[in-house]
This record gives sequence, structure tokens and C-alpha cells, in this order.
Amino acid sequence: MTGAVLSYSESAELAGEVAAAGAEVATMLGTDAVALELDEMSAGLRTSGSVVVLKGDRALEAIADSAASGILEFAKTKGFGALLIGETRFGTMVAAKVAARLKVGSLGKGKKLRVDGGRLVLERDAYGGKFVATVASKLPCVAVVQAGAYRATDAPPRAVETVTVAVGEPKVAIAETRHGQERDAGIKSAAKIVSAGRGFAKKEDLALAQDLASALGAAIGCSRPLSSDLGWMGEEAHIGLTGAYVHPQLYVAIGISGQLQHVAGIKDSKIIVAINKDRQAPIFQVADYGIVGDLYEIVPALTKAVKQG
Amino acid sequence: MNIVVLVKSAVDEAELRADPSGHPVLKGAAVKMSNFDMNGVEEAVKQKEANGGTVIVVTLGGADAKKAIKEAMAMGGTRAVHILAEPPAAPDSLATAYCLAQAVKRIGDVDLVVCSEGASDTYQGEVGAMVAEFLDMPFIAYARKVATANGKVRCEQGLRGAVRVLEAKLPAVVSVVSEANVPRYPTLLQVMAAGKKPIEEIPVASLNGPDYPETGTEVIDITIQPADRKKLLFDGTPEEAAKKLVDALKQEAVL
Repeated sequence: MTGAVLSYSESAELAGEVAAAGAEVATMLGTDAVALELDEMSAGLRTSGSVVVLKGDRALEAIADSAASGILEFAKTKGFGALLIGETRFGTMVAAKVAARLKVGSLGKGKKLRVDGGRLVLERDAYGGKFVATVASKLPCVAVVQAGAYRATDAPPRAVETVTVAVGEPKVAIAETRHGQERDAGIKSAAKIVSAGRGFAKKEDLALAQDLASALGAAIGCSRPLSSDLGWMGEEAHIGLTGAYVHPQLYVAIGISGQLQHVAGIKDSKIIVAINKDRQAPIFQVADYGIVGDLYEIVPALTKAVKQG
Repeated sequence: MNIVVLVKSAVDEAELRADPSGHPVLKGAAVKMSNFDMNGVEEAVKQKEANGGTVIVVTLGGADAKKAIKEAMAMGGTRAVHILAEPPAAPDSLATAYCLAQAVKRIGDVDLVVCSEGASDTYQGEVGAMVAEFLDMPFIAYARKVATANGKVRCEQGLRGAVRVLEAKLPAVVSVVSEANVPRYPTLLQVMAAGKKPIEEIPVASLNGPDYPETGTEVIDITIQPADRKKLLFDGTPEEAAKKLVDALKQEAVL
């Protein structure tokens, strides 16, 4: 029998989704699904498979090096068919490290997984999200699963087992952690998102986007220039290829031109609204609804209209 | 300090077109240095300026990767190592990382390997971590501030809503995000001088050691991303347009 399908995410939000992906792939392969937890079991984890809590000689989830070592030890000892990891920066590092140390295939990050002819197949973005690549690997292999593709089950795990692993000293040390400097914008799981781009002339003007977000009950995000070049918003708020992939019901892009890299991160939104003064802006090509005009006039009018219902 | 910067020659995705069957027209497509690698090269050159030494540009790609190499050289690379791999035989990400690591080993006596967080065409963001594993070096990812001193590298990393300061012994591999620096624009003189800097070519097959990773990973197909949006524009005064939009969003049941 094919080894178990292992799933892991350090993000409590994602762990259930990745476990659901693992359960689906395990069914296709006729094998077991095992959701891995590091250090301790998070209370909210739901999976139709079983859970293994890995405990190391040091905190495994503190650093990607240790997390990868812990998962690697377990995977090597027990064998596995596939390892699915939730898409975060941390998860991407862990997946790459495990694939390299085991020299198994790495499918990269994507949403749709299937089994075909004994291989695991993943659809992932290519060329800045303009194309979709279908990638296959023989088993065992590693894949990174993006948020929003699978729905976590409501069932508590069938069984929970604790396994001890020895991981040794990580090569990277944490000298300092500063909390609270970066605010998690909550955009990865938000149902509504208002997003701001270069069309805003100065940082203070983002209050207009904030007002609309408050009226809508939406999270607030931005395109890359605002977080990266201008530093008006935190790294966590950045939506796009190098930032967060989002999948809200409603995405309102304000003053965002719609470069490929940004569009890659928003294409799974149900409804995309664009507000931009340039009728030729590429964002209108990927939007359901648009208003061409000055955001300084349109956004307050929209906030008012939303409030009036 | 001997600094290696890993650079990828990527298809210019903005220019890339699909043929009538929806497949990308890769033959003759424009290539350039992957956008994000500009931050990698900038960081490598900054470290060289701060510590002295050389910046060696290492890339894996076909003959057309020379353009990316020259872009990196114009920004301040000292010399380059070009692992020649023409597209049909191009290795997957793990094998690419293996080959890059082999090239770094050949260069020898490398203190720091810098790369960007991912490539603009594939953006899987895994090769840097894999290179570090093959070199058995520490890996610090997503660095937005890099400092080297006393045989150590110290980086700031934004992760899970916190900023962490990470430290590792050199030699190490560091991937930088775009927040790390502002890439310089080379002058015309620097661009012209870049053409004269030495490029060593290594056929990819010559790096194929006994531990070469054969993972059986392949790209089966690449097709254009389906995009079926309504593309409906509302006009009128700001108030009228806003009202029409709100009505449409109610119809869609997203308000």
C-alpha cells in the first residue's frame, strides 16, 4: 500500500484545509491521511483522518529548519505517499527543505490536486499567473496547498498519537522577535477586501479606503508598491504573487492598475470591482464591475451608497 | 568576501502571448533577468561594497540567459558562471538547485549566497532553500535587512505577523524580499563594461554527480489562465455610478 498522505500547516486557519486536501488525496490513493502537528495539538484541528503530534528535543515550530527536521524524521521512519503543506512563507520553506533532504519531487504551490496514473498532479500558476501549469510527480512527493481550495471537515480527528523525534541543533538562531510591528491584515480568509494602490497620492488618504472597508465590513489590503516601495502598509497586507493570495466574495481594487503580479493574487475572488481613473488600466480587463473616475470622488460616494444600503 | 548571487533568466511574462490553442508562445519570447532578482543582485553588491570582495553571478539557463547575466554584471557583478541548459532539457526545481549548489562548490570558498524570494515566471520560492540544503549551509529566507560581521549574517525577517532577527554562521544562503533594498539602475558605461566581464560556461551535464536528484517531476501542460469576468463599467456622476455598483453587488449577493 502507498504510504500515508501527510499534511501540515503551522497556521491554525490552514491546517484543517490542508488536512482535507490530504484526506481527499489519501482516498484517491487508497491510503491513510495523517495530519501532522508540531510541539502540541491545536484544539481546533478538524480532520477526517488521524493526527500525529510530533514532539522534538526542542521546539519544532520555532524555526523552519527544526520543523523540516521533525517532519523529515517522521516521514523517513514511517514512509509516506505525499506530504502536503499549507501555503505560507514558513510552509514554503519547510516544503522545500524536506523535498531537498529526501530528494523527492516538489510540485510547488497550487490549488487543485489529483492522482493520475499513480502520480500526484497539481495545477499551479505560471508566468506571473497569466498561465496555469499542470505538474506531475511520482510518489512520494511534496506539494504546497494554497488557502481556499479545500474546506476543513467538522469532524474531530479519528485518533491522536504522539511521536517523539530527534532533530538536533538548527543552523539558524532567533536572536530577537518583535511582535506587534506587523499586523496580520486578515486578508487571506476575509470575505470582503478593499485594496489600495498607487492611485492614492499620500498615506493619509488611505483613510478613504479604510472608511469604505468599515462600511463594507471588509479587511484592507494593498498592491506591492504601497507595502514595498512606499511602506504605507505592512508586508502582510500586500496582495499578489509575492504577497498573499486571496479569495474573497468581494474584492474592491482602488487605484490599482492591475499588473499581472497583483492579478495573480486576486483571480479567485468571486466578484472583482475596480475603481481607476485610467480607462485603459488592465485592472478593468479582470474586473466584473468598474467605475472610471477619480477615486477621491468615487470612493466617498461609494462609502455613502453602501451605508445607505 | 566571496559573494554568489543566484539569478534566473525568465520569460518576460508581460510580453508572453498564447497561441490559438491557449499555449504560451515560448519560441522567441523575450527574456530578462527575473524582476525580483534585481533585489538579490543589489543586496550582493551592497554586501561587497560594505565588506570588499567579489560578486559572482551564477545562473542556469539557455544561451539567451546571457542577457540576464549582463544585467546582473552591469549592476555590479564581478564575474559570472553560466550553467548551460537549453529549455527542453532544463531540470526541475530540485535538480536546478542541485546544479546551482554544485557550481557554488566548484567556485569554492564562498562566504555568502544571495538570491531573491522567488522567480517572476514560476514564483515557487523553493530553489534558495534547496540550494542551502545541498550546500549544507544555513538558510535565512525573506530577509528585509541583511548585515554581515564577524563571520555571521544577521537578518530581519517578517513572518507570522512578527519581525524576527535571525542569525547564522557564514557561509550561509540568504533570500531577500523587495523591502530589503532599492535596486540601482546601471549607467550606460556600466552596461557597456558588463559585456567585457568574464563569463565561465559550464554544461549542465558536467554537474551531474552520483547524487543527482531524479525526482520524476514534469510539467505536463501549460495553458492560458481562464478569465471570464463581466467587465461592466458604470458611468454617471460619482453618486450615480456608486449607486449602480451597490445595486449590482446586491444582485450578486455579495453585499
